Amino acid sequence: MNLLEIKNLHVSIGDTKILHGINLTINRGEVHAIMGPNGSGKSTLSYVLSGRDGYEVTEGEILLDGQSVLEMEADERARAGMFLAFQYPVELPGVSGMSFLRAAVNARRREAGEDEVDQLEFVKLVRAAAADLGVDNDMLKRAVNVGFSGGEKKRYEILQMALLQPSLAVLDETDSGLDVDALKIVSHGVNAQRGASCGMLVITHYQRLLSHIVPDYVHILAGGRIIKSGDKSLALEVEENGYAGLVDAA
Amino acid sequence: MVMRGWSMPHKLSQIISWPEQQAKAKDFLDQKGWPDNRQEAWKYTSLAHLREQQFLPANGFEKLASSASVEGLEGLMIEISGGIARLHDGQSLPEGISICDISTDDSARAAIFTRLADDHLLPALSALHQTSAIAIDIEKPALSASIPPIILNITGGDKDTACYPLVMVRVHKGTTARIAEIHSSQAGLACPLMVYDVADEAALHHIRLQAEADHTTHLGLNQMQMGKNSQINSFAISMGGALSRLETHSLFLGTDSALAQSAIYLGRDRQHHDITSFVAHELRDCHSRQLIRGVLDDKARGVFQGKVRVAPDAQKTDGQQMSRALLLSRDAEADAKPELEIFADDVVCSHGATVGELDENLMFYLKSRGIAEAEARNMLIDAFLIDTLEEIEDAGFAAFMAAQIAKWSAANR
Ligand SMILES: Nc1ncnc2c1ncn2[C@@H]1O[C@H](COP(=O)(O)OP(=O)(O)OP(=O)(O)O)[C@@H](O)[C@H]1O
Ligand SMILES: [Mg+2]
Repeated sequence: MNLLEIKNLHVSIGDTKILHGINLTINRGEVHAIMGPNGSGKSTLSYVLSGRDGYEVTEGEILLDGQSVLEMEADERARAGMFLAFQYPVELPGVSGMSFLRAAVNARRREAGEDEVDQLEFVKLVRAAAADLGVDNDMLKRAVNVGFSGGEKKRYEILQMALLQPSLAVLDETDSGLDVDALKIVSHGVNAQRGASCGMLVITHYQRLLSHIVPDYVHILAGGRIIKSGDKSLALEVEENGYAGLVDAA
Repeated sequence: MVMRGWSMPHKLSQIISWPEQQAKAKDFLDQKGWPDNRQEAWKYTSLAHLREQQFLPANGFEKLASSASVEGLEGLMIEISGGIARLHDGQSLPEGISICDISTDDSARAAIFTRLADDHLLPALSALHQTSAIAIDIEKPALSASIPPIILNITGGDKDTACYPLVMVRVHKGTTARIAEIHSSQAGLACPLMVYDVADEAALHHIRLQAEADHTTHLGLNQMQMGKNSQINSFAISMGGALSRLETHSLFLGTDSALAQSAIYLGRDRQHHDITSFVAHELRDCHSRQLIRGVLDDKARGVFQGKVRVAPDAQKTDGQQMSRALLLSRDAEADAKPELEIFADDVVCSHGATVGELDENLMFYLKSRGIAEAEARNMLIDAFLIDTLEEIEDAGFAAFMAAQIAKWSAANR
């Protein structure tokens, strides 16, 4: 069975139509990259997949493991295995990082019928995962994302992904704001998650990320439609020539 | 020196006798009756519903004081129920604390009421209907270690009765006292009057929990006056009752003192919570700091009225006040009326009030991590309240108050 199937997806925000019939299938083990001009609807697609309020699906279907998710709330979708690494992670003043991470992990575990994680063991688990991603202890002690630099916020997103072990990960411009070294660390974290059980949708503007996280497929999203799909060479083509030619041809 | 008056405290040389106080109170109540929104001080909180009701005075120890609401607090427990105030069974007074029944002591009560606000509903109600009255003196013994916290466990009554307990607390010079007021009565009308006198170089750690029954109208007055070089760290939570108003009247009567006085109200269903505070800076170099937070769900209503008055002599006053309300439902409503009256020129005062809703972006972020709606809401409510709770200096009191908020949140699930 396909991990994710998006069929003829039309999405509006208020009266504005943003997505005009997206078709996309992702299987376990595959990495799909989405590239496209600013405002083409990439983040919109990521939000509608994760169940954000205010995004109306006017037509089409989203199936996760063969089940429609359209009636599911964002938290239910997350517990069913979806994960979104935000383009702009929000700050949560007053919410301690550790208790946030534990609440998220426990929500997943309860759903799977597992016991809640032991507090001490959890601290060890988080510290180990954080060390791999260059997230220092001080960041773990602070409130979620508060006072984090842009790059630190992105690493913290990937830390959450590593702890939650999703079956479908959507990464929205996780590379923007990262310095060269951080890009390597984060890519390494993403590649560690990559495997037979997990599918990924990686949104990016830059071929550079795709040289670290090598995609199986590349799709070009423009004006709310996927106008071209191909393999990793399509990303190189975009890097060379921009979107203009592709958009005109479509 | 004795000060009085709500809007314009002035010095008084003479104590007004108890019969005269009661006569004045009767006149006031006969003329004014229960106020409604037409009166400026009651603009957001009408007591018109009390006009139709008759209450019997609570007397006797009707119900055994329940200890559920004081769970987690340790100290000397004084039980006030109906018309009785007594020490909890089996406890004895430690050195440094004395308690005196003043329910028939006219001169003691005359002295107390002389210092309260004139022409004001809450003192008038108490003067006329008083059901119990005690005075507590706390004075550091010469050779002793610390004095235990005092827990005022105020319970009893039923929906047809009204209780008007009076507690006068004197914290003597150089003494540090800890007092918890726990209001969890079943009365139809509860009008507790608490008067605190914190002497020169003395300190008071104070918490007040209002967790009355669902049907209770709670009209509480906490009057605090502070001597030179004194400190008060006070924190109130209002979460019970149908309609509740807590008035705090705080007077600086000496220089170089500091008042930290914060409060949280938590409302749901059709609850109405009102916190009305008056801080009077009379003399120089005093600090007041107030954080007010409100969380309102369903059709609950919250009110904060805060007046800070800085007298001409109160140079170098630092007065800070900030109120924020969080609305969890479209039908909830919060009003705030901060007021500064400054008559001195060399002061730093600020106030502000905001009303907001839960941030949808933050809710989505939490939910996108698999955290269910109710848990996500509670995480954001806790986050909204946490810095205010950190104002509580005494660790035992802080833990107790945090537990009360957790109890309230648990009912959200
Ligand atoms: N809340 C909203 N209300 C109205 N229009 C919106 C809203 N959010 C996004 N849009 C519009 O939808 C379109 C797609 O936005 P989206 O954020 O999905 O683009 P994107 O491809 O992620 O762009 P970028 O590369 O800049 O991140 C844009 O035209 C944007 O202005
Ligand atoms: Mg975007």
